[in-house]
Amino acid sequence: MILALESSCDETALALFDPARGLTRELVHSQVALHGRYGGVVPDLATREHLRNFPPLLERLREEGELAAVTAVAVTHGPGLAGCLAIGLAAAKALALERRVPLWGVNHLRGHAWSSFIALQAADPPAFDERIERWLPHLGLIVSGGNTLLFAIDHGRRIAVQSATRDDAAGEALDKGAKLLGLGYPGGPLIEQRALAGRTDAYDFPRGIQPSGDLSFSFSGLKTSLRYLVEKLGPAEVTARLDDLCASYQQAVIDALVRKTAAALDRGGYTSLGLSGGVSHNRKLRAALEKTAQRRGVTFLAAQPQHTGDNAGMIAFAAWCDPAGCVRDDHSGLSIQPDLALG
Amino acid sequence: MTILDILRAGVTTASAEETRSYGAQLAAALPRDATLALHGDLGVGKTTFVQGLAQGLGLSARVTSPTFNILHLYRNSSALPGPVEGNTDPPLPHHRNLPLRRSDTRGLTLVHLDAYRLENAHQIAALMLDDFLVSPYCLAVEWPERIADWLPAETWHLTLAIESPGRHRLTLV
Repeated sequence: MILALESSCDETALALFDPARGLTRELVHSQVALHGRYGGVVPDLATREHLRNFPPLLERLREEGELAAVTAVAVTHGPGLAGCLAIGLAAAKALALERRVPLWGVNHLRGHAWSSFIALQAADPPAFDERIERWLPHLGLIVSGGNTLLFAIDHGRRIAVQSATRDDAAGEALDKGAKLLGLGYPGGPLIEQRALAGRTDAYDFPRGIQPSGDLSFSFSGLKTSLRYLVEKLGPAEVTARLDDLCASYQQAVIDALVRKTAAALDRGGYTSLGLSGGVSHNRKLRAALEKTAQRRGVTFLAAQPQHTGDNAGMIAFAAWCDPAGCVRDDHSGLSIQPDLALG
Repeated sequence: MTILDILRAGVTTASAEETRSYGAQLAAALPRDATLALHGDLGVGKTTFVQGLAQGLGLSARVTSPTFNILHLYRNSSALPGPVEGNTDPPLPHHRNLPLRRSDTRGLTLVHLDAYRLENAHQIAALMLDDFLVSPYCLAVEWPERIADWLPAETWHLTLAIESPGRHRLTLV
């Protein structure tokens, strides 16, 4: 049984993974309401909240009698906010020492990368090693507030980054777009909500002109074009056309994601397409990518909604599924890596 | 005219590439361990300018927006490989008045901070920022007005603004 801890940003989370049964317990304490007032995560508040939230969550697992079966501890050691990561790592080191079990550092982005496979494993745990072969090589898209990444997983379960954003992440484009439009935080869900009643073709936002061979994403120009438009329209018009603005802007973000993902798929060889990260919660994006995969005869594997945001389930799963991608804590030398990259 | 004269007089750029090129030129004129404050609203080109700064500092890494993570670190890997361990070595003495020549950028760390959600020194402590400011470094700060009290007195200030769609104004204060 693997116990995982995640505290890279604003969620304090614990999970237990039993290879024979899948994820058996997941606990999460979200700080979204706290940080909503500030328009995003505030580092020192987040750090203090993690310090406050871990003990009661761990106490609950202890009372449930779950900690006795733990044979390894896994913890997110990067990327993320330094203070937040440090609290999780300190708690994980203490637990591993107390339980006398090994500690593994897990790359948060690897957690997202593998999260599309969690449901596949849970459906038939003993057959997973055999079944996963059918879905490899895999192309995955991670879309979150801080990252937009296309990566491949080969038959050896090795992850190779195919492309990333040149400037802003997709989730950031939505959050900043929401801010320019006078909406609140978190911006992505607010834009998605508004977009339901709007026309996607009401405004023509740039989709970026890049050579077709270039798979990298760029959302900075889109953000700036929205700013130009907001200034041209004026506050009254922006309010009156808010649904259309949200629908058109969101569509530009989705189109950019779909176009590059489709181009990567068309390079061939992939048997499945994965979608994960906080922005993968967006229903329209899910539907568009599912269609993209189906048209090419590729299986679509999207992370389950509870595993799209930051969670410890994906950390436990990655520690089990991809031990070669994790860092064993030898002689307590494991440290936080706030700027850890995927791959 | 030097790049400092040009930027002090103010320039208008017509593309992101042009904004980057001024960033690259300014990098060569900044002293060692400089702090550069980038003033300007959403979408004016702050991160774009830092992309140029990184190029000018000889860093090949792709510079992306630090908004979500608040802090991004880029190290010149041509020397001193491996992570910067902030507390293990005593900081080198600061040589703030020495110009940062290209040959001096080995081992340099570019620290890119988005202070939008910061308000005080406690919040900077939670980022462990001081641990990452190991000489030689260059600290670029977006939304610097949020942490005005924390910024060193010798901080360089650049303002960015939109003149009209597609035309952005850069001025070194």
